[in-house]
Amino acid sequence: MLTDPVTAAAPAPPQGNLWTDLMHGVFPDGMPWWMVAVLGAAVAFAAVMLFVTVIAMFSIWLERKVAGHIQVRLGPMRVGGWHGWAQSVADGVKLLLKEDVVVTGADRLLFKLAPALVLGTALAMFVALPFAPGLQIADVDLGVFFLISISSITTIGVIMAGWGSNNKWSVYGAMREAAQVASYEIPLGLSLMPPVIYYGSLSLRTATDMQAGWLGLHWYVFDPLHFWIAIPSFVLFFVAALAETKRAPFDLAESESELVAGFHTEYSGIRFSFFFLEEYAAMFVMSAVGAALWFGGWNFPGVTQMPEGALRDFLCVVVFTVKSMLLVFVMMWVRWTLPRIRIDQVMTLGYKYLTPLSLILVFAAAVLEYFLALAPSVLP
Amino acid sequence: MMTDLSIPTAPRKRRYWGNVWDAVKSTAIGMGITFKYLWSKSVTVQYPDEKLPTDERYRGIHYLEEDLCICCDACAKACPIDCIEMEATRHGKELEWHKFTLDYQKCMFCELCVYPCPKDCIHMGKEYALVVEDRGQLVMDLLSWKGLTEDQKVRIAEAEAKKAAKAAAQAAAQAAAKGGGAKMDAGGGGGGGGGGDSAAGASDAAETEPTH
Amino acid sequence: MERAAPSPGLLQPGQREIELDVRTQDVEINMGPQHPSTHGVLRVLIRADGEIVTAAQSHLGYLHRCAEKIGENVDWLQYLPYTDRYDYLAAMNNNLGYSLAVEKLLGIEVPPRGQYLRTLIVELNRIASHLIAFGTYGLDIGAFTPFFYAFRERELLLDIFEKICGARLTYSFIRPGGVFNDAPPGWLQHVEDFCRQFEKKWPEYWDLLVENKIFIERTANVGIIPRDLAIAWGCTGPMLRGSGVDWDLRRDQPYLVYDRLEFKVITGVGYRGTVGDCFDRNYVRMLEMVESLKMVRQCLDQMPEGEVSHPDVGLIIRPAPGEAYVGIENPRGELGHYVVSDGSKIARRVRVRAPSFCNLSLVEHIMPGTMLADAVAIIGATDIVIGETDR
Repeated sequence: MLTDPVTAAAPAPPQGNLWTDLMHGVFPDGMPWWMVAVLGAAVAFAAVMLFVTVIAMFSIWLERKVAGHIQVRLGPMRVGGWHGWAQSVADGVKLLLKEDVVVTGADRLLFKLAPALVLGTALAMFVALPFAPGLQIADVDLGVFFLISISSITTIGVIMAGWGSNNKWSVYGAMREAAQVASYEIPLGLSLMPPVIYYGSLSLRTATDMQAGWLGLHWYVFDPLHFWIAIPSFVLFFVAALAETKRAPFDLAESESELVAGFHTEYSGIRFSFFFLEEYAAMFVMSAVGAALWFGGWNFPGVTQMPEGALRDFLCVVVFTVKSMLLVFVMMWVRWTLPRIRIDQVMTLGYKYLTPLSLILVFAAAVLEYFLALAPSVLP
Repeated sequence: MMTDLSIPTAPRKRRYWGNVWDAVKSTAIGMGITFKYLWSKSVTVQYPDEKLPTDERYRGIHYLEEDLCICCDACAKACPIDCIEMEATRHGKELEWHKFTLDYQKCMFCELCVYPCPKDCIHMGKEYALVVEDRGQLVMDLLSWKGLTEDQKVRIAEAEAKKAAKAAAQAAAQAAAKGGGAKMDAGGGGGGGGGGDSAAGASDAAETEPTH
Repeated sequence: MERAAPSPGLLQPGQREIELDVRTQDVEINMGPQHPSTHGVLRVLIRADGEIVTAAQSHLGYLHRCAEKIGENVDWLQYLPYTDRYDYLAAMNNNLGYSLAVEKLLGIEVPPRGQYLRTLIVELNRIASHLIAFGTYGLDIGAFTPFFYAFRERELLLDIFEKICGARLTYSFIRPGGVFNDAPPGWLQHVEDFCRQFEKKWPEYWDLLVENKIFIERTANVGIIPRDLAIAWGCTGPMLRGSGVDWDLRRDQPYLVYDRLEFKVITGVGYRGTVGDCFDRNYVRMLEMVESLKMVRQCLDQMPEGEVSHPDVGLIIRPAPGEAYVGIENPRGELGHYVVSDGSKIARRVRVRAPSFCNLSLVEHIMPGTMLADAVAIIGATDIVIGETDR
């Protein structure tokens, strides 16, 4: 897990690590360039896929437990013994074993391509997430920008699925998704701007490093000069992220009581599970962005101060994942509380409320940053 | 299509910050309620392991007090969907049960079969699980035994013996009165069918008990 | 897909000027009979221009079981279990409607305890039915959790029903001439416990769903039925009262002991929108639960001792030749039973006026012009039970 394939993929790494040393032993003349690329990609893909699968399965189990307990039920209790922890595994196996149905009249190419595209983009988003100082697949300079642009590619997959299914309900779901995501890109991007202005960088790694003060508690939301911008901007980001990930109350794309199952009405088996995995992976990514930009990323008292090494990296991953999962939990909590918004109200909320409010916050953050820059001594 | 149905709505008060505040407040209240229940005890039970008790008056699968039942067909007549079928042969006062079936594919558990019973022998029990592997199994026989029990046989034998003795005594008395010439006649009545008829009871008993 | 000009009947002049320059084909969708929010097997054929419904037509009959015809073939009493099955969420009310009609033919009066017991139990059943209406309405709008809370309280009611009659859904409890059983010992105490418990839970429903901003936005000013229209289409029950018409058979044509109880008839007031919108219909149901609870309390206080059934009515009923109509206030509206007797032990004719059926007839006329999601909200606010519309 602790390998760094991007470093390995670099043509001439300035300093060797375990991976490059090993490869040097196998290929004394240096690996062929294509093998470096392929191997790096394969390792990264395997790691992300494993992580996503585990996270998604856990999230699905958690969702059902949260739903159950909120609704004074128990949720899954049987499979695996303790509180049905293996329910997701059992469901996954069942989905894998089901017949692969492509409905008559479907656009076969789009129908088959859509789940792969959707899951692929979800996996690509993990590339930029800063799990730990030594564990980030790629420290993309434009990290935030990269994430929101990749996440909107999912929409294309959803539209393909909806159109390819040859089902009117699916088309409705796809069109709703297209309209919704297109309009929520704006508030999502704008609400990410206050922290970006604060950090002066789009890189999630830089953002996390800058929150390491105060024994690891100098998170953006706790900053005494910025919290009044940080908290509302986080709320706006969270609402926009709910819409971006098609979660209730913005689950119009698959709104069960209206569109049966929306864009994935006709999907079953493994292809359906791809959509399901994507939903939870996207939730995790959005929560991780929130955790990295507002809640200190991997920083936590005790973890930040540790000497660098594998143990610290491991604890950083734990802290970061726990923070993200807490936000995922809030998403679930919201889902099991609120009714669903109508499509025109989604648009109203996006364009008339979230966009102006986030613009105001961006403006406020910029002004604040400007005056703080004038008086550097005030900076904490 | 009715044109007057696109009714103009009353102008809504467009309160921008009011809407924001309402949304935040009502969401917070709602999430407070759901959060409270997140930690509350569940009201459901794990069904096959744990079962909620059914009440005294619960209308579940019937049970029959077979020794009381007189096969009078009152419950079958009261049934709105004719799902009760019964069949027994009479041996004097004793009944040889062949079947008492209830078709639970039809039964709607209305309890109307219970009220007309003159002997108060059909009841609705507390069992409710009607899971079977085949539809045919839903036609359930309420009888706990079929045919004649040993007790019944003994009782029939006794009744038969009594009857025979009575008949013999009568015959003897008749013979004495007429001065002989009469022959013993116990089996002349003709066999009754499965439905059983009390009029032919005595002769039936004699016929269906070959061992006697 | 060929592009067709929208048929002139569907486009109201000036209704959608913005879209008029782009001629698109309307989509025809079958909402139902297999659909999560058509409350059973209602099928609504919707013609939609994108998200906007331009025409709707409801198709019935998927749950038709010839209940009325069966009434002409079974004994008077044997028809009772069939009445359970048209509005299965309020079976006590159906039993009551039929029983009152037969009693009118027989010309008998049920003893006071029977009357009070009937009133008590139909009001409890009304609460149970409105709980489902509220819960499933939340489900239609997209909120899952209120549904479970509503079912939790309904379960307590079903336990109460089970204790008195042995069944949890299809009770067959109220019979011509009275009720089948008197309350078991301690049963009235159970009802009182329920009242106390329900009082605590009801504000939670209100806060969680009814006062929720999204719920208000989804239901207020949606599917407005003006007063005149509601009367013209023969709407009854919460559907009518939601439009602001002050009409309740319990008060205006009292049966049982309703004239001895104090209660308010709830009408829609446009609490968050316009009078007669979906919100008002739900609002009426929510507040009717409270009124029913009040009535239950009063019944408990006034409950007399004595017989529960008329001694002369046996299992075989032979009313004198004649006909009778009795309408009662079902949770969904006026449930009417018209029965004709020819003096035999089998009814000559049994006819049911089902409130859901009449209320549903209006739905397809208020749908055009609303959005697809509103169609679901409108069907949900009508609170139909398909078992009753189809019978």
